[in-house]
Amino acid sequence: MPQFDFAVWPGQIVWALIIFVSLYVVLSRVLLPRVRAALEARAAKISGDMDEARRLRAEAQVQADAAAKEIADARLRAQRTASEAKAKSADEAKARQAALEADLNARIADAEVKIRASRDQAMTNVRSIAADTVVAISEKLTGEAPAAADVETALSAVASAN
Amino acid sequence: MAEPMKQFEVHTLVPLNVAGLDVSITNSTVWMAISATVLAGFFTLAFARPSVVPSRAQSVGELLFSLIDDLAHSIIGHESKSFMPLVFSLFGFIATMNLLGMFVVPFTPTSQLAVTATLAMLTIAIVVVVGFWKNGFGFFKLFVPSGVPIALLPLMVPIEIISFLVRPLTLALRLFGNMLGGHVVLNIFGSFVVSLGLLGLAGGVATLGFLGAGVALGSVVALLALEFIVAFLQAFVFAALTCVYLNDVVNLHSH
Repeated sequence: MPQFDFAVWPGQIVWALIIFVSLYVVLSRVLLPRVRAALEARAAKISGDMDEARRLRAEAQVQADAAAKEIADARLRAQRTASEAKAKSADEAKARQAALEADLNARIADAEVKIRASRDQAMTNVRSIAADTVVAISEKLTGEAPAAADVETALSAVASAN
Repeated sequence: MAEPMKQFEVHTLVPLNVAGLDVSITNSTVWMAISATVLAGFFTLAFARPSVVPSRAQSVGELLFSLIDDLAHSIIGHESKSFMPLVFSLFGFIATMNLLGMFVVPFTPTSQLAVTATLAMLTIAIVVVVGFWKNGFGFFKLFVPSGVPIALLPLMVPIEIISFLVRPLTLALRLFGNMLGGHVVLNIFGSFVVSLGLLGLAGGVATLGFLGAGVALGSVVALLALEFIVAFLQAFVFAALTCVYLNDVVNLHSH
């Protein structure tokens, strides 16, 4: 086996050590730190981006909440305004109606008083017409006018009989 | 037929002798250097301009880094960061040598026991140094398993010491054996394709040789796929065991 030709061992051992140590120095001092730096830069970038995204999401959430609250407030205000307006217009309508009714009632009462007055007047006139008629008829029939007091008595009796 | 062992021969390219030691530059040392350069070059290019959205090369580099980083972290725990470069260097160096060795031209340094033994001894030496540095002489508690009746300790302590001493051997032989075996089997099956094919040319009953060559070729293709997996896996196993051995001494108190 050529591997057990010990004449070539010292050279291989010495060179293996020299080459390996040089490789170790280059890798550990220069190249591997670069690899680790690249990996760490990526990890930092990813976690940084994640943090930024999380922050933006929180910010957006806050804004969305504020907007929702504003909308709720506005709706509440609008409802209050609407109900206030409704109540106000209802009050006004009621007041107007009450005024109108009072006015109408006053006019009705007025009219009723007038009607009663004219009716009473009319009734008085009827009585005098009846008396006149009685006097006239009696004159025609008997040729003499009845006494005014008799006529009044008769008329009153008729009126109370009715 | 080519000698299956010929591919493991070490040739001196530039003779070099320092203080009576033959440290010549050989095909083995050249391919070690090329593997290290390829690995470092890949990471240099892939991370020349690292970006948050990675290029394909950067993705591969990050994947390999994360593979070893996660492995070290899952085994060693929160102190894994200081050992991760060592584990990654071992993994990357071995994986690159193994994978380059899968091609026809490159020599496979990990098929040399000298190389795998050097890496294994270096690993265990680092484990011992870290053990003493972290625990002082408490390092020797590694050989005294906790929760064992005192009566059994005379039996357990030698077993623990032997199992510790065997670690560099198994670490070196596992990688060496896998690479050696894989390359030999591929070489033998490859030579079957040629020799059976040549036999088939003879005509007559020997025409069946073509069938044998076909079967051998199929085996070579399947084995090649397997060996690519083994090449990667053995590097990973070496790294995982390094983590386990480091964990033993880093978290000694929790045993």
